[in-house]
Amino acid sequence: MPLPALADADAEATLRGAMDEAVAVANHSQGGRAMADKLQPILERSVSFEAMTRRAIGPGWREFSPAQQEEATKLFTKLIIRSYSNKFTPGEKPEVNYLKSVSQGPGKIEIPTTMLYKGSRYSIVYRMENRGKWLVTDIVAEGVSLIANYRAQFDGLFKKGGVDAVMRSLKDSVAAAP
Amino acid sequence: MRDKGLEFGVGLFVLLGLAAIVYLTVKLGTGSFVAADTYPLEARFANTGGLNKGSTVMLGGVTIGRVEGIRLDAKDYSAIVDMSIMSEVQLPADTMASIRTSGLIGDKFVALSPGAEESVLRPSERITMTESAVELESLISKMAFGSVKEGAEPQADGAQGSTNPAP
Repeated sequence: MPLPALADADAEATLRGAMDEAVAVANHSQGGRAMADKLQPILERSVSFEAMTRRAIGPGWREFSPAQQEEATKLFTKLIIRSYSNKFTPGEKPEVNYLKSVSQGPGKIEIPTTMLYKGSRYSIVYRMENRGKWLVTDIVAEGVSLIANYRAQFDGLFKKGGVDAVMRSLKDSVAAAP
Repeated sequence: MRDKGLEFGVGLFVLLGLAAIVYLTVKLGTGSFVAADTYPLEARFANTGGLNKGSTVMLGGVTIGRVEGIRLDAKDYSAIVDMSIMSEVQLPADTMASIRTSGLIGDKFVALSPGAEESVLRPSERITMTESAVELESLISKMAFGSVKEGAEPQADGAQGSTNPAP
């Protein structure tokens, strides 16, 4: 374990930077899709949407052709950013309190945070992995993992209707997201 | 004579009965006499609320192993669950483990959902992508006390310097 403390600080700095930047951008936008589009390039620098998509789709991922994998990643990225930015009102500043990070073995870390937003307190854990640089690979909000939530749904769809069902559902969800 | 034979028969019957009880106790208890080929895996949870030694490990509703023990990691106060998984089940490295309840208030079990990674979990490796037990009570208390309505100025209680309001 080379300098674990340093690596931990690195991951936390990445997360803090990304959050601050995202909140700043979100606060200067109109909300809705415009905000989601503005946030995407920022988030893509600190979130591994590729890993998230692969894991959210689960075992079915291997049946996807490379082109389908790419398209699924694009759609899933849009879906996550849209559905989360939808919960954010421009002007409302979340207060984030970073708690002590927990190492999960080489190149893996969990950063628990509490977030105070609009008067409610939420516990949110960010799971990060070192893939050349630290990237967020999962978000656990109030004990519920984003990846697990989507995996349960996509896996069910995949078993019923294969790749096509998953792609169709992704397209529909992106179109339906505000 | 005849009496001796009868006594012998009764004794044998009682012994057979006892043996059956012992067999059932072990079978229904923690597991089987002859364990199938298994390999150990660990999973780290923030909260195992209600999981026990002997709880089942399921994948897609099929029992593929059981919980061998639960211990506390003294460093960060998380719970480490030791499991044994049937050898023929190879799990991808990004497998997730969640603690689920059968029914609304039923037994707790570990549910695994396999991912898409090419590499597989080797014996004694640790699953880090986990979901802890969701406690009904804490959800209820959140409903009861949780939300202060909008309009109230957000205040961070007990935030020591690490609070990070956006610029």
